[in-house]
Amino acid sequence: MNRIACRLHRLTPPALLLALGVVLFRPAIAAGDDSPWETDPYQLGQGLYFPQQGLRVGGYADLHYYDLDDEPRSASIDDLSLIVTKDFGSRWKLLSETDLSEAAIITRRGVSTSDATLEVERLYVDYYASSAATFRFGKFLTPVGQWNLIHADPLVWTVTRPLSTAAAFSTSANGAMMYGTRTLAQDDLDYTLYVDDTQAIGLATDADSAYGSYGRAGAINPLRNEFDRAAGGQTHYHWHDDQLTIGGSFVAYELRDPRKSYRLGGLDFDWTGSHVELSGEGVYRTPNGAQTPSEYGGYLQAVIPLPDQLFLVGRFEHFRNSTPNVTDNISTVGLNYRGVAGLVFRIERTHASHEYTGLPSGWFASVAVLF
Amino acid sequence: MFARLKYPRIVLLALTLGAGGIDYAAEPVPSEQAQMAVIASNRDSLPKIDDGSLREVYLKRIFLNSDGRPYIPVNLPPTHPLRNAFLSAVLKMNAPQMQIYWDRRYFQGVSPPYVLGSQRAVVKFVAATPGAIGYVQRCQVTPDVHVILLVSLTGVAPADMLEKCPEAATP
Repeated sequence: MNRIACRLHRLTPPALLLALGVVLFRPAIAAGDDSPWETDPYQLGQGLYFPQQGLRVGGYADLHYYDLDDEPRSASIDDLSLIVTKDFGSRWKLLSETDLSEAAIITRRGVSTSDATLEVERLYVDYYASSAATFRFGKFLTPVGQWNLIHADPLVWTVTRPLSTAAAFSTSANGAMMYGTRTLAQDDLDYTLYVDDTQAIGLATDADSAYGSYGRAGAINPLRNEFDRAAGGQTHYHWHDDQLTIGGSFVAYELRDPRKSYRLGGLDFDWTGSHVELSGEGVYRTPNGAQTPSEYGGYLQAVIPLPDQLFLVGRFEHFRNSTPNVTDNISTVGLNYRGVAGLVFRIERTHASHEYTGLPSGWFASVAVLF
Repeated sequence: MFARLKYPRIVLLALTLGAGGIDYAAEPVPSEQAQMAVIASNRDSLPKIDDGSLREVYLKRIFLNSDGRPYIPVNLPPTHPLRNAFLSAVLKMNAPQMQIYWDRRYFQGVSPPYVLGSQRAVVKFVAATPGAIGYVQRCQVTPDVHVILLVSLTGVAPADMLEKCPEAATP
């Protein structure tokens, strides 16, 4: 197994940010001077693009604050993520995402970097074979639902992540994928088919935790969901110029530890109206011949635009966990401020009926930047 | 070729034009300033693209044309009135929706279209770059590019917000 995760006890966040700034902004000036096409200047949230090299460098970072019920207050830099894409000719493209997670946890006792972990979140190449099919090889995000595919902090509406989007499957896979978009009856159909063979490939495998730690030293439930082998597919249908998207996912897989086989099906949707955006995901997982009970759940989320780039967010989730065998009802109400492109400020209150599944009750806040 | 007309505002230009560009004399000219031209390089054979496919190209859901050549869509800056008109008439999204769409796609490794600073830059870039597609006011079109679609700006871009048509480019 090619584990490359390593502890970074001695690196401080300011040093990392300074290094990141040097890497990002020096070439920005050079690119602006050399471009023959009067390019638009760099903007936060779009990455830094070097057209002559077919290279784009970007990423995201976030700072979280937690005031959880019955726990001391804390803050954490959860993600410092660097995303690099590089074109090779007109048909090949490389993507890598390297993430420094849990970079620092700040409590009354001081700053701890003992949980800092450097991980390769994604590393793959895409080959554009035709207008209908692209092939992907490497480590990629598992196509179940929509949240997992856009899980970066600046892109989602809440600090907390619904259990249905991570607890029942590995959030990443190692293998090959074919995907594309077809037009049917004036609407678009996205399809994805993939196979995972982490057991054989073991490409940049990380600790794929099923639950977040939310500023605590380790999650309440240390369950991990690494695939050993998997095969699955996903489809999304976009109606009325993307106003309504409905998707379905299926994956059959064998976990590494505990070594069990499962089948998982999922449904998701996203509807954008004039005054509200509704979205939801649900999963149902059954074991193959084991005594473990089924695991299932789903959430429904509403986002209402308010004046001045403020958004009111409400979500309810029901999740039946199998290990341990408990059911959780989780409600979340929060606010987003998105007045500056690439920057998101969020605050929310979450109440979980049963905290053992890994999502605690309390106040959560964050500032996240996509650069 | 254009089996389906998804957007009523879009006027399709007959694709029987020669490789040398537009036959201006044969075109009705109701108002040069009130039309947006979607352009491709003269170095390309005339691209076979309809209005629905144009949306897919600009959303980067399809990357290659039927001949296997990559599309290179280019945009005007976010504050340009013609870009907002293109968003509304062709992509059927407003600016905040587009921002959310591209933030998500960018995270998925798909970069938004390359942004050029002016219409003149778009024409120059498209003329010199096989596979490139851009949009400009019709009066900005030069003989170095094909016009593959014409889009009416009536109702989506106030005339006083658009650039004044240069005399040299007016037929």
